[in-house]
Amino acid sequence: MNTIILAFTMIWLTVMLYFLMNAVYVRLRSPFLVPILTTTIVVIVVLSLFHVSYETYMVGGKWIDALLGPAIVSLCIPLYKQRDIIKKNLLPIFGGVVVGGIVGMLTGVLAARLVGFSTELLASILPKSITSPIAMQIAEELGGIPSLATVLVIIAGLAGILMGPWINRWFKIDTAIGQGIGLGVGAHAIGTSKALEYGEQTASMSSVAMTLSAIIGALAGPLFGIWLFP
Amino acid sequence: MKIVIALLQVGFLYILFLAGEFLQAKLSIPLPGSIIGLLLLWGLLSIKVIPLRWVEKGAYVFLSTLPLYLIPATVGVMDYGHVFVGKGSLLILITIVSTFITMVVASLVSQSMAKRNVKEEGTLS
Repeated sequence: MNTIILAFTMIWLTVMLYFLMNAVYVRLRSPFLVPILTTTIVVIVVLSLFHVSYETYMVGGKWIDALLGPAIVSLCIPLYKQRDIIKKNLLPIFGGVVVGGIVGMLTGVLAARLVGFSTELLASILPKSITSPIAMQIAEELGGIPSLATVLVIIAGLAGILMGPWINRWFKIDTAIGQGIGLGVGAHAIGTSKALEYGEQTASMSSVAMTLSAIIGALAGPLFGIWLFP
Repeated sequence: MKIVIALLQVGFLYILFLAGEFLQAKLSIPLPGSIIGLLLLWGLLSIKVIPLRWVEKGAYVFLSTLPLYLIPATVGVMDYGHVFVGKGSLLILITIVSTFITMVVASLVSQSMAKRNVKEEGTLS
């Protein structure tokens, strides 16, 4: 098939399904129907049915992926508009991000070690709460598999947005800061896309948490790994 | 006219992202270009080099559809089915349980610290 037609087909498929799934979500409002999850599943099913590989899909997919960069830059806007509240809560934000980040790396690596996974897998699971470009870097530096690290980052993100509403209910997380920091620390950009549903304040908290996690992760992640599995 | 303005702003945000990528490559900063771009924009807004209204409309175009741009990456999971059969499935379980604990701890720590802040200062955020 002509490359251009193929690219357009894949872009059209993704965009069309996304808006369809979004409409379903708006109508039914079940936390299990978040469009990022349902669209991903339906796209994978369609590709599998037509025996289209991921590589072929990305001929078009990469054009949508190219917009993720400026979309992340855009998260600066809620962040900037909520700057007074962020300044007022610097310590609680920092506390949640640092403690949560450490707990995330520790519990993942220790559980994987307990099960007897290789160092290669430990290094791939360690950065699962951190946005994927950073997670890949950390995994690589520690001798893990960068692409597997990305997959675990995505699983963490999707699981995070599914569990978020339950966590908020069970643990009485009823503030924008509590809900936003949880999503940003545990589920990075995917969590932040969910936090936007809750409003600008929650989104700004999630963005701060995601950004801080990335910065701290990039600096401290490799050191943490060396300490955990020398 | 509104659409033209929003599109110009989208283009400007893209340039900020490219600037972030450029800085990352030139200075070998260990952060993704998108996050450097975000920090760059924060800096420009803070020192009032550019007003918020120059980027706000474009940003909301992106933010209202943010999950869409993550989908090409999430679809990539399809190539990893084989890793998660048998013992590998525990990787998924561990990731989910660890994410649960991470979120609970992060939420509780920040929320309780923020509430204590409010009590001490007597200000509501």
